[in-house]
Amino acid sequence: MSARAPSGEERVVQLVVNGEKRRGIAEPRLLLVDFIRHELGLRGTHVGCEHGVCGACTIRLDGEIVRSCLMFAVQADGATLETVEGLAPGDGLHPIQQAFREKHGLQCGFCTPGFLLTAQTLLEENPDPTEYEIREYLSGNVCRCTGYVGIVDAVHEAARVMRTQA
Amino acid sequence: MSTGLLDGRRFVGASILRNEDPRFLRGQGRFVDDLELPNMAHCAFVRSPFPHARISSIDLSQAREAPGVLGVFSWADIEPYAQPFVTQLDTRPELRPCTRYLLSKDVVRHVGEAVVAIVARSRYEAEDACDLVHVEYEPMPAVVDAERALEPHAPLLHDDIPDNTYAHIEWEAGDVDGAFASADHVFSKRFHAGRHMAAALETRGIVADWDLSTGEVTCWSTCQYPHLQQVFVGMSLGLSARQLRWVSPDMGGGFGHRSNTYVEDAVVPVLSRLLGRPVKWIEDRIEDLAASTHAKELVVYLDVACRADGRFLAFKTHVIGDGGCYPSHPSTSLIDPMTAATLMPGLYDIPAFRYVVDSVVTNKAPAHAYRGVGWGPGHTAREVLVDEIARALDIDRIELRLRNMISDEPSTNVVGMNYDGGSYRESVRRTLDAVDYDGFLGRQAQARTEGRYLGLGISPFVEPTAWGSKAAGLAGIPIQFFDFASVTMEPDGSVTLTSGTHNHGQGHETTLAQVAADQLGVQVADVKLVSGDTGTSVRGSGTYASRTAVVAGGAIVRAAGDVRSKLFELAAHMMEASVEDLELGEGVIQVKGSPDRSMPVATLAYLAYLGGPSLQPEGFEPGLTSTRFYDPPDTYANGVVAVVVEVDPEIGVVAIEQLVAVEDCGVMLNPMIVDGQVAGAIAQGLGSALLEECVYGEDGQFLSATLMDYLYPTTMDVPPMRIEHIETRSPVTIGGVKGVGEGGTIAAPAAILNAIVDALQPFGATVDRSPLGPSDVLALIPDVAAGR
Amino acid sequence: MKPARFEYVAAESADEAVSVLAEHGHDAALLAGGQSLVPLMNMRMARPGVVIDLNRVRELDTIRLDGVLEVGALVRQARAQRAPEVAEAAPIVVSAIGQIGHPAIRSRGTIGGNVAHADASSELPAVLVALGAEIVARGAGGTRSIPAEAFFVTHFTTALSGELLTHVRIPRAEPGVSAAFVEVARRHGDFALVGAAARVRVGADGTCAEARLVLSGVAGAPFRAARAEEAIVGRRLDDASALADVERLVRDEVSPTSDVHATAAYRKRVAGVLVRRSLEQAAPR
Repeated sequence: MSARAPSGEERVVQLVVNGEKRRGIAEPRLLLVDFIRHELGLRGTHVGCEHGVCGACTIRLDGEIVRSCLMFAVQADGATLETVEGLAPGDGLHPIQQAFREKHGLQCGFCTPGFLLTAQTLLEENPDPTEYEIREYLSGNVCRCTGYVGIVDAVHEAARVMRTQA
Repeated sequence: MSTGLLDGRRFVGASILRNEDPRFLRGQGRFVDDLELPNMAHCAFVRSPFPHARISSIDLSQAREAPGVLGVFSWADIEPYAQPFVTQLDTRPELRPCTRYLLSKDVVRHVGEAVVAIVARSRYEAEDACDLVHVEYEPMPAVVDAERALEPHAPLLHDDIPDNTYAHIEWEAGDVDGAFASADHVFSKRFHAGRHMAAALETRGIVADWDLSTGEVTCWSTCQYPHLQQVFVGMSLGLSARQLRWVSPDMGGGFGHRSNTYVEDAVVPVLSRLLGRPVKWIEDRIEDLAASTHAKELVVYLDVACRADGRFLAFKTHVIGDGGCYPSHPSTSLIDPMTAATLMPGLYDIPAFRYVVDSVVTNKAPAHAYRGVGWGPGHTAREVLVDEIARALDIDRIELRLRNMISDEPSTNVVGMNYDGGSYRESVRRTLDAVDYDGFLGRQAQARTEGRYLGLGISPFVEPTAWGSKAAGLAGIPIQFFDFASVTMEPDGSVTLTSGTHNHGQGHETTLAQVAADQLGVQVADVKLVSGDTGTSVRGSGTYASRTAVVAGGAIVRAAGDVRSKLFELAAHMMEASVEDLELGEGVIQVKGSPDRSMPVATLAYLAYLGGPSLQPEGFEPGLTSTRFYDPPDTYANGVVAVVVEVDPEIGVVAIEQLVAVEDCGVMLNPMIVDGQVAGAIAQGLGSALLEECVYGEDGQFLSATLMDYLYPTTMDVPPMRIEHIETRSPVTIGGVKGVGEGGTIAAPAAILNAIVDALQPFGATVDRSPLGPSDVLALIPDVAAGR
Repeated sequence: MKPARFEYVAAESADEAVSVLAEHGHDAALLAGGQSLVPLMNMRMARPGVVIDLNRVRELDTIRLDGVLEVGALVRQARAQRAPEVAEAAPIVVSAIGQIGHPAIRSRGTIGGNVAHADASSELPAVLVALGAEIVARGAGGTRSIPAEAFFVTHFTTALSGELLTHVRIPRAEPGVSAAFVEVARRHGDFALVGAAARVRVGADGTCAEARLVLSGVAGAPFRAARAEEAIVGRRLDDASALADVERLVRDEVSPTSDVHATAAYRKRVAGVLVRRSLEQAAPR
């Protein structure tokens, strides 16, 4: 995270990340995922393919899920970002995170941040999704470890808990 | 050998939630690319665009001047500091030693081979400089088909492998020729299992930090076997274990792909040395697909000699492994063809068996272990043929299998594998209930009258697990494996385990803690596992091949037993009882039958360190620690994968209507984690049957270059699964644990392929290859293939 | 896989984008959703010297429905998928968008970007040709309207020449006209191996008066199965032998190629099947 001034083609990027005002420097070609990981120091968002297929880099930009490997950091100037680090309240776990734990929705953990934010967005749009709706919404996130069984169960469980809390 | 693991166990067998989850859920895992060191620089590679070519010149001058560049290196620059990999096995003299230069020297042999390494201040600038490297290539003919590589005038890849055959191995037992001569029927099959790969979600990566002032090197990498990596990279770089520390941090998947020593693992440390600063290389997905390792491409010829009643008399098999252009280092490209051949008898009682294995070099990326190894394609070839035999002899496919299947009791087969008993037949019975076999047959017949095509595939499997020296030898790859675990009870009664395994999704921080907690009467939360670091954990052979629960669990049981003995010795002294009168309770050691006479384990721990001669018995060595070793005998899990599909014969689309798995991995440490392993393996098996292939064009170009072409199964492709468990305790392993993890990749492809063929029986379909996309499924129909 | 360097211009208006485009010609790329362009840039298969970011050009972000449905180029696919105007005017556009990738792709990907990228396997181009849509383009010389059929030339090539695609205009659904879209893909959300879009007008006597039958994935651009269209006019859509003729004619008139995902023979056969199925779906009940 640098407080230095931009040089050459570099620009200042100012944005709100997980509710906090942040500032970084980026040359135009710096990918948003690299900016998040190395300039902002938030390493929970992962790089899996750099061509928008695997979903490991999924974040929320202005409330929508996006592939941060397919955006340039300079495009996010003035935006509001949410990453996995913003999900948990304090040192507890968000109900979605807790559900993933209870239903064994993660093994190696690499795809997990992308799934959590995608699930969060699904449940905002559709608090009582069917199995098909869950699978369809998550179809852009790849998991190589779980076979998706625990993940789908976790989203069902999170939906149930969040409906009772609402 | 019973050890008390089952007696009074409280945690083993329970679905305890994982200790490791919170950091991953919060995005605080520590993966290789998360590592930042002061002054760290970034590496990128220039890779060959040709499948086979001579390098006539390399011009690095422009690249060296590019902005941000710190160094540009070809083999000539690396050579003084590193030995090439020479891959051979002393125990298998049939292998031709094969030399691989860490960066290409003179010849490139596959698309993606690393030719030049560039280090710059950022990966972006390193890639800019890669564009400025000028390599002149003289293309040579490429060979991309293993059988064609064996033909007399095929282009040769290596001067010291004169017929493109890295190894040719023959073996037989029993009167094979006699069995075939006397058989009522001989059935033959050629099956080509397609090339695919692990494609773990985290690509490979390494950070190397060569400290020039001390001569000590620390490397962090995506590696399933850090202690072995330390040995093999150390050999190449002339570093002893004292000088080279290897750390495997959190890792986004392994699957066998990372139980390998890659050229980058030796090159990047040299770059750090030459530049005097840490160097990081993170593989990108394009590199992973083209230039890491692939797996499981085999051509299997299988002949089955059969009596009129369907009883198998003998098998003959010729397995041709497409090993790619270099054997994987150090395990060699025998890993797929040998395992396919040696497990060909599977669950069937075969008195005579012959195999011939050829591991062939071709202009493709090297082949290496990937979950299930050759057991998967070998099983697929055999089970496809078994279904064909059933149809030919008009015997029900289940009946035919049961007619030939070994009993559920322990037995030794024709290859010498000591199956330690299981639920081979029982799991089939369970599966038939779960899919309602008779009901299915009725539904299938009814659906056909409506123009809908349902099919069922049932794939019972046996799976060698707990890969140790014995298992490896029986698989035809004699290598010594060794695993230690240490158990230390600290003065406060908490427990530290170290092991030579590596946790990358299997939940070791939980399962191994469950084992230790039961052995020492403590809570799971009081046990901490340290692994994956040669600097802080005892030596081992790493995690792959479904081994950790047995090898680490077993070593922990032994070491914990030593610690427990000392606790008992101390307790006996302090309570003035005899050791035989004591038992382990919940956090205490107590006199049997007198629970008021007890001492907390935590108190005993404190006294074991600090009690002094006045409280400790005479001759008592203070401290509570032990390191023990375990190299298990061969042991075998078993189970069944069954699939019901509906196939649309106009467009070749396959929908999976039902998927059932029965898994018997002996004593389960944590059923929730077993379920996760079973489901994950099945998903990968499904991918290898329907979606995933590393495709090379006739000209050697690598066509599955991105994830638009290499297709991962998604939530829409993997169905919900019904998973059932049977626990047949192993009589030969510590605690009766067998290990789990690969059943799905071994058995699911056969279930799916057989289901598709079953569905398309009205059209006369047969299958002889995988994977099957819609285009391939339609082509199974002879009329379609003929263009009618 | 990091992109090569480029100069970045965040356009504030369509006219600004057009003038920067005119200044740099082929060295400039227009960045809308980035879901097609940025992967190519990350792989260094595309190396524009100048990237013109359209994401702040609000005037291209509108959906209007009057005599015709007009969708601005920067409208996100997800928004178009949910928009009541699109559901009312062109329901098969909604179902085609639903086949594009996944939610994260559609939240960022745009209608204009997808259309201008002109991937031969993409759903929207075939649907737009079937519906008789028009593409509005603005260049240094002014604005023009290009019929969809003329817009898609071949693989990744459109009729745009130094121009910015500003809007897509789609005739609205009318009584007696129905449309359907079917595809086969290897996985949900992937580009189709073959897709078929059908738009038919059925007369009072129950026979087909007009048909537009368009295929994706069998040629470099959406392919109108003209002979099949001729064959179905004057016949009923529930006439099995008419549909069999259509299927056969489609098979005969397409010349697809093979790739790693499907053979030419497969695409030929399935093209016929899908056109038949699209007609079955479009048939009045």
